[in-house]
Amino acid sequence: MSEEARVQAFVTAFGALRAEVEKVIVGHREIITHVLTALFAGGHVLLEGVPGLGKTLLIKTLAEGLELSFSRIQFTPDLMPADIIGTNIIIEDADGRKHFQFQHGPIFAHILLADEINRATPKTQSALLEGMQEGSVTVGGASRPLPAPFFVLATQNPIEMEGTYPLPEAQLDRFLFKLRVRYPAIDELNAIIDRTTQARHVTVCRVMSGPTVLSFRELIREVPIASHVRDFASTIVMATQPQWEQAPDVARRFVRYGASPRGAQALVLGAKVRALAEGRYNVSVEDIKVLAAPALRHRVILNFEGEAEGVDADTLIGQVVEAAEAVTVQGKEPFLR
Amino acid sequence: MGESQAIGILVRRVARQVRRRRAEHHALRGAFWGAAAAAALLVFKSLLGVVAVAAGGALVAAGALAGVLWGLARRVDAADAARLADRAFALDDRVATALEWAARPDRTPLVGLLVADTIARVEALEPRQIVRRVVPVEGRWLPVPALVALVLALAPAIPMPSGLPDFLPSGDPEQKEERTASTMLEEQSRPLAKDPAKRPSLEERDFAARAGAGGATTAGDLSAIFKDTALSGQRPDFNSFLKKGDERLKLLEQVDRLPDLQSDFTSTQYKVVFRKSKSLLSGLSPDISPKKLRELLEEMERLGRKGGNWSGDASEGMEALEGGQTDRALEAMQRALDKMRAMDERQRAGKNLRGVRESERGRGRGRGDGTGAEDMDFGEGEGLLPGKGRSLMPKGEATSRLRANPFDVGVEGESRRGRKDGYDTNLTGRAGSMPSRLQYLGVIGQYRKMMEDAITREQIPRDYHGQIKDYFQALDER
Repeated sequence: MSEEARVQAFVTAFGALRAEVEKVIVGHREIITHVLTALFAGGHVLLEGVPGLGKTLLIKTLAEGLELSFSRIQFTPDLMPADIIGTNIIIEDADGRKHFQFQHGPIFAHILLADEINRATPKTQSALLEGMQEGSVTVGGASRPLPAPFFVLATQNPIEMEGTYPLPEAQLDRFLFKLRVRYPAIDELNAIIDRTTQARHVTVCRVMSGPTVLSFRELIREVPIASHVRDFASTIVMATQPQWEQAPDVARRFVRYGASPRGAQALVLGAKVRALAEGRYNVSVEDIKVLAAPALRHRVILNFEGEAEGVDADTLIGQVVEAAEAVTVQGKEPFLR
Repeated sequence: MGESQAIGILVRRVARQVRRRRAEHHALRGAFWGAAAAAALLVFKSLLGVVAVAAGGALVAAGALAGVLWGLARRVDAADAARLADRAFALDDRVATALEWAARPDRTPLVGLLVADTIARVEALEPRQIVRRVVPVEGRWLPVPALVALVLALAPAIPMPSGLPDFLPSGDPEQKEERTASTMLEEQSRPLAKDPAKRPSLEERDFAARAGAGGATTAGDLSAIFKDTALSGQRPDFNSFLKKGDERLKLLEQVDRLPDLQSDFTSTQYKVVFRKSKSLLSGLSPDISPKKLRELLEEMERLGRKGGNWSGDASEGMEALEGGQTDRALEAMQRALDKMRAMDERQRAGKNLRGVRESERGRGRGRGDGTGAEDMDFGEGEGLLPGKGRSLMPKGEATSRLRANPFDVGVEGESRRGRKDGYDTNLTGRAGSMPSRLQYLGVIGQYRKMMEDAITREQIPRDYHGQIKDYFQALDER
């Protein structure tokens, strides 16, 4: 298959998968696009939103649209790491000899829905760390690979703080995007009512297999990015760090820790997927701008003053992007330089 | 690169536009500075003659020309031109990316598709001017020096004061003579104009001449009204000023003799009543009614109850007033006033610029109890906490630990002689070995380190950092 055909196949598959999900999910087009972007970029997604907005339904629908195994873990305070990863159990064979056999946990699936991830203890949350980063888990000294593609979609509720454990920064950094699911508009709400209160069964077709997803992931990495666009992404990430000499005032004042290099990787990879999904063969500055908030909002840790002032991470990142634009060549007239 | 020829053409076209805009931009700047220089030159038109006008025009033209050349000569980066084209034609950075990646050895298969796509889009573009004109600040202000230069060029030459160097060549005696004559005429018509070549020092100035006594003022000479007459005959005596200044500085050093600026003597309640009463007694207000006198006595009695010792006298005066004995009432008021004055004098005594703190110390000494915080001469690491040092109480101060179990602890103490008598106390029993006996200096370092760590981690609003550090600094000073 030629490169052009591969690109066309990707554009078609991306659109088809989005259309399948939109059969069930009303609105949230941007959220769906970002979830698919993360899927093809090879990252994981954290969905944050109040109950009842369809976070879990979105993920289940996505899993139905892909020919991939799916498992769901409802995180609770008493959930243990072994409940996620699995454990060695003693098995007695026909000869009466006992030996250990590994019992796979729910993490051994292509798509893992970690529902209400912040309800589990940090110890249990950390059980996902190795799997999310390395694509394998270690149990009893033996490393076991997870099926590829491995895609974690976690949800969390931002309003119920009682009995929850906020995700540690290291865990948050593992997520490619953090998406905020917002309330639907009135026409979307009407469509939700119509779609969910009538006797109509929607069937989601499987449009993509695991190997196809993996091949698209390879294709994504071939998308070229111009040096000035890459510089722009790097400058945005650097501008979130208050120690940087050219950091904007808003970062110096309200940020404790800025985004890590993983943030820059997420930004560029996501931008590549977005470019290709739009049928473009290169990354543009606009791609970086659009994906700055989902890729960086969970990687910017506010300081006490920022928390006390109620600074919104999205607003802060918006200002950081503007500052980065002014610093780089984007903000300068070429003939004045 | 044959395949990217269309891209190259587009980039070169944009680069030409950039150069043209740069030339305009810098031409305006050059014209501004040229016009400014021309205006400066035309000020000396009387000295330079027609040459100045020609030179001014040449300066403007030269400035603009230099700007144009500078703008055209500067190289336009191809990447910049490509980015500009991307932005202007909404090409989503295709041109810049294609231009950069087409020449790279590590180009991916998608780069070929990108270049082909970009070429197709570029070829479909309509050529147009995409580089906007940027007028520099100098360009906006260009009319000002240009107009000034024009006015100076058209207007008669500004006469130059004498004493300036002669710019004209020495071989033109006729013109020089003419100029000298005109200068002399001008000097005659303005006899009081200053001669810039002559700048006498302060001591050498002839103040008498300025007084107008011997000055050649004539009728209708308006400049005469600006001549001072009173002070002109006096020379400033700086030595006496410095001498007086020295004396005032010495006064400032004697802080005890300075008036108490912290309390306004006229604003105290005592003083108000005092003033009213005084005016009554001295007959300044003969029409004061018994009612007002009663109100005054009542006010004095009220103030006396708040801390004075004249309320008895005021009460006696009120009783006398009720009995119709005005003289007796006035006598009682006089006694109360004397006591008020005495108290006021006591309060004001011993105050200096340190104000309240000194008075507090004074009161502490006055009571003779010796409990002033500054009078305690505790040793290092000792404080007022019970069981940890010296206490004025024979058995030390009570603590919650003592109340918890009175049988397994005890307090022993012995009298101590020093600047102030006191007792050295210590806990005995189990409580004596409790961890709270840690030396103050032993823990303060730990707490300071914890404080610095906390500030570094920015757990605390930045505005409070200074206050926290000041607090620990104050602890060090103690």
